[in-house]
Amino acid sequence: MKAFSRDPRSPSDDIGRDTQIAAMLAPLDPATTDRGYWLRFQSRLMRAAAPELARRRMLPDLTMGDILTGWARAVVPTAVLAAAIAALALIQGWPIQLRPAGSVTLEEMLVAGMESETIPQALDEAAAESSISFAAERF
Amino acid sequence: MSSSGPPTPNDGDLVRSARRGDDGAFGLLVQKYRRAAYAVAYSVTGSHEDAEDAAQESFLVALERLDECRSPERFAGWLMTIVRNRSRNLVRRESLREMDPVPLSASTRLPTPEREAELSELQAVLRGALDGLPEVQREIVLLHDLEGWKHREIADRLGLPSGTVRSHLHFARRALRDVLGADATVEEGGRSSS
Repeated sequence: MKAFSRDPRSPSDDIGRDTQIAAMLAPLDPATTDRGYWLRFQSRLMRAAAPELARRRMLPDLTMGDILTGWARAVVPTAVLAAAIAALALIQGWPIQLRPAGSVTLEEMLVAGMESETIPQALDEAAAESSISFAAERF
Repeated sequence: MSSSGPPTPNDGDLVRSARRGDDGAFGLLVQKYRRAAYAVAYSVTGSHEDAEDAAQESFLVALERLDECRSPERFAGWLMTIVRNRSRNLVRRESLREMDPVPLSASTRLPTPEREAELSELQAVLRGALDGLPEVQREIVLLHDLEGWKHREIADRLGLPSGTVRSHLHFARRALRDVLGADATVEEGGRSSS
C-alpha cells in the first residue's frame, strides 16, 4: 500500500479525479479485498426484488384508450336506457313522481300541526316563550 | 473503480421497462448505480454494514415506488435521495438502539477476520478523516474521486450548482489531505504511524 503524502501538484486523471485522493479512498470500496462483492450484492438484491418484479409483470398494461373503453362500456348503455325510459314517459304522459307518496320531509315534520302565523305575530311578546315562535322564525 | 463496458440504454428507458417488471432493466439500473448508492450511504452512515443495508433497501424501495419517479431520465438523483433518507433513518435507529438500556448481543454481520485484519486500521483512519467533513462534502468526494462521477453528473443528480460541487470537492480534498497526509502516514503492509 502506498504511503499517503502531500502532493501540491494534485495529479488528476482525464475526468479531473484526484488520483491521490482516489488511492486514499480505495480501501473503502468493498471490492478491494473481496472481488466478488458487487456480484453478490447484485444477485442478493435481484433475489429480493424478484417478487415485486413478478407482480409488475402481472399488472395489465392499461392505456388511456383502455380506461375510456372500460368507462364507456358501463356508462353509455345505462345512459341510453335512462334516456329511452324518459322519452317513453314523456310521450305517454306518465306522471313522474320524484318522491314516493306518503313520505314526509324533515321540514314538514317540524311544522306539522302548527298554526300558520305571520312573523310579527310569532315575535309578539306573549308568544315569545312559545315553541311556535322558534319554528316561525326559522321557516 | 468506475465501471466500463458496452453502452447501456438510457435511464428513462430502463425505468420504463423496470416499471413493467423487466428484471433485465432493473438489473442494469442496479449495476449502474450500486457503487454510487453504496458511496452515498457510506457518506451518511460511516459504516460498511450499514451502507450495504441502506443501499440494498434503497433499491428495493425505489423499485416499489418506481411509478412515483416523475422524471425517469433523472432516476439517479431520485435514487440518491432515497439512499440518503434511508441512511439517515438507519443512523437514527442505530443511535436509538445505542440508548437502549438493555445491551444487545454482538452483531452477526461482522466482517470476516481476514478482511478485518487487513483493513480495520486503514479504514479507521479514513473514517476519521471523512467524519471530519460535512455530509455533502463526503458524498461529493466519494462520488467523484472514488466512483468517478463527473462534476456535472454530481451537480445534476444532487441538484446542486456545478460551482458548488467544485467548491465542496476542493474543501473536502484539502481536509482529507490535511488529515491523511499529516496524521496518518499508512505504510506498506497496513501499519500506520503518525
